[in-house]
Amino acid sequence: MKKKPNDLILQTVTTVISFIIILFSIHLFFAGHYTPGGGFIGGLMTAAALVLLLLAYDIKTLNTILPFDYRLMTAAGLMIAVLTGAGALLFNQPFLTHAYDYFNLPLLGETSLHTAVLFDIGVYLVVIGVTMTIIQTIGESE
Amino acid sequence: MAFQVLLNFFLAFLWMFLTGSFSISSFIIGYLLGLLVIYVLRRFFQTRIYILRVWAILKLTLLFTYELIKANIEVLAIVLRPKMDLKPGIFKYDTKLEHGWEVTLLSLLITLTPGTLVVDVSDDNGTLYIHALNAADIKSNISSIREGFEKAIMEVSR
Repeated sequence: MKKKPNDLILQTVTTVISFIIILFSIHLFFAGHYTPGGGFIGGLMTAAALVLLLLAYDIKTLNTILPFDYRLMTAAGLMIAVLTGAGALLFNQPFLTHAYDYFNLPLLGETSLHTAVLFDIGVYLVVIGVTMTIIQTIGESE
Repeated sequence: MAFQVLLNFFLAFLWMFLTGSFSISSFIIGYLLGLLVIYVLRRFFQTRIYILRVWAILKLTLLFTYELIKANIEVLAIVLRPKMDLKPGIFKYDTKLEHGWEVTLLSLLITLTPGTLVVDVSDDNGTLYIHALNAADIKSNISSIREGFEKAIMEVSR
């Protein structure tokens, strides 16, 4: 049994950096409507932050910190995307028709709310779920 | 420390609600007035007033910038010299710092200033193994780290 080296510096820096990466991924997710970004790249960036945590700690530690079932997350993302598309059928519109309008929200002022954001949340969850499932299953098979 | 910052923010918001103007400028005025109140009532707190700690962080940043520029010029002089008479070596350095983040900060500062490089940290986080470009004068290396970075980090976290 080889003695584990002291990963103090890596772990301390990772805990600080992962917050910044996750915040940046949320920014990318919301930037997708007008500027480059969106659900796919945001999900990949969040998954990258989780992979960085996996590199600094180990799989068991990450599962106790974030007790997510990533297969369920993938299923939930697909469900959200399908329901967003099916919601258009209720208003006698073709499948996947999106609606948007301008609302006066408190704090934000005049904001355009679009149902494509809900679809993007589905994409985001699917990307995180698939990436983490792949990496964890590879990591666990010794 | 954290409680004082929270109290200062709360006082600034209170000032905004009292004046009825919700803008950045009134927030800043409220923050400064809250700072004044906290300074006058500083004897009530267990810890020292947090502005001193902010000042210590600023001093550490300035010290680091100065050391970075100075050390890089030194390395440039070594590289441009036709004859290199370097004596590289690894020496031990026992830190007095306790928390993990303090040791990490010290290691990163030592690594970012050229001429020294942290190779490993011991298991009890008490000893750093540092590779020096010029290990001929280990004593001056150790004392310069101890007088410079370690003292500045101690002032921040004390």
